[in-house]
Amino acid sequence: MKAFEVINPGVYTMLQDLGRPGYMRYGVPASGASDRFSAQTANLLVGNRPEAAILETALFRLELLALSNLTVAVAGGDLSPSVNKTPFPMWQAVSIQPGDRISFRGRKKGFRAFLAVRGGFSGPRYLGSRSVFSRGLMGNPLRTAEVLETEDSAVHHPFNVPLPLNLIPDFSPRPTLRVILGPQEDRFSPKGLETFLSSEYTVSPQSDRMGYRLEGPRIEHTQGADIISEAIARGAVQVPGDGLPIIMLWDAQVSGGYTKIANVITADHDLLAQTMPGEFLRFKAVTLEEARAALRHQELRLADVKKVISGWAAVSPTYP
Amino acid sequence: MSQWPRIKPSGDRSVLIEFENRIDPGVNRTVRALALTIESEHFPGVQEVLPAYRTLMVTYNPPQIDYPNLTEKIQGWLGKAGDIGLPPQRVFRLPTVYGGPHGPDLDRAAQILHLSPEEVIRIFSRTRFLVYFIGFICGLAYLGGLPENLRVPRLTTPRTIVPGGSVGFAGGQANAIATDQPSGFNYIGRTFVTLYNPEMFPPIPFVAGDEVSFPPVPEEEALRAKGLGAEDFL
Repeated sequence: MKAFEVINPGVYTMLQDLGRPGYMRYGVPASGASDRFSAQTANLLVGNRPEAAILETALFRLELLALSNLTVAVAGGDLSPSVNKTPFPMWQAVSIQPGDRISFRGRKKGFRAFLAVRGGFSGPRYLGSRSVFSRGLMGNPLRTAEVLETEDSAVHHPFNVPLPLNLIPDFSPRPTLRVILGPQEDRFSPKGLETFLSSEYTVSPQSDRMGYRLEGPRIEHTQGADIISEAIARGAVQVPGDGLPIIMLWDAQVSGGYTKIANVITADHDLLAQTMPGEFLRFKAVTLEEARAALRHQELRLADVKKVISGWAAVSPTYP
Repeated sequence: MSQWPRIKPSGDRSVLIEFENRIDPGVNRTVRALALTIESEHFPGVQEVLPAYRTLMVTYNPPQIDYPNLTEKIQGWLGKAGDIGLPPQRVFRLPTVYGGPHGPDLDRAAQILHLSPEEVIRIFSRTRFLVYFIGFICGLAYLGGLPENLRVPRLTTPRTIVPGGSVGFAGGQANAIATDQPSGFNYIGRTFVTLYNPEMFPPIPFVAGDEVSFPPVPEEEALRAKGLGAEDFL
């Protein structure tokens, strides 16, 4: 079914689902929605499975013309979503008609928004996923006049309950990202480690889904910045010879030869997706046990979203 | 007791196992043997096994297994890895056109090396390169075995785009890039064999441990390989 015509493709707008894990050994990054909680929640709100393809967009400008009767939901950063220039609520399902125009008129909070449509967006799958990764010849960002289609859906009408406020994440503008130190923390001087853990860094304009380049105090190495190339985990904080850290993210190369001082824990990757160039962030070292508890906490929050949407929830969910 | 291997966390869902800190076929063989051993265990919670030159990264699902338990398992697998048989080595011979528009750095590299372009082609194309591992982006094969007399530094300013299939070397390493990419390598030739296709499985033809060579052919013959996969040149 034809869902939308693209009037303005906006900034970095593309289809994403939960990505293609398992292909790093072939040099292919997992990609996938950058803020997984928001993307999955948007899908659940319109009655989709959490792994359906959504539109990921950043900042502002995306404008879409509806071609059918549709149910949509927007979650993630607040980019002032509107229908025919009238603001509509995020984190809840909204019905629209042919001829309606959805636009994102300006960023208020966060950086990236996720638009789900009932049935889920269709589009070619590459290695099992619809996540666009143009550098790997797997689809392209949206183009003007492109028509977006949905899967033919026999999806039931979801219970249209707004999410309780305590399930909606708060994207604070100066996040402190939790990290596990290493694996090459021994290649930095004590002063270098101290710089990394005590300084505030600015996200550089040269940041994208591959990585966030940071500007701020330079981190001192002890014996150079190069290592024999090896696999790079998502969230790795590489420090090349100039001493300025780069956080390797969703579409990052899968191997490289720079020292890695630390790794942002998985539970904080969503937060990073909502931090935009020009904003500030800090790092704090935690233990693997703390990282595991944080991930568990995030999974429980998504489980609570599912309960609320299915109607199977206590009046006041257990979260937080 | 040797200080290798060493096991450490690489974030909250990966373990890094390090072997001797050098690029060496024997060290890489140990890495591959451990990778195959771990994969053959099909252990619940182990997600990806990523061999590199001298390290192996194992990614895992923290709700299913935690770091202390996984490292204990890995200690056991290290003991078993010596017994596993590695797959038979395959040799790919990819027809390559050298020089001219397909090898923009051939003449300059020859000058730096005090060799004629023909000698560079002869030395390079007689080499069987070992695929140490696959990585970077779009299935780049990290090739080892570049002869000592072909050591040229990287370009001072990397090219913003190099066409896929370009074959070259820099700083003791060689590669054939799979898709159009920026690169600072010296490219001396090009193969038109498909080296990456995300609509197929596997998306790239090589596995770690394979060998690749780049026999010189005339342009017309090189172009006939367009649309063919590397498995047609075993």
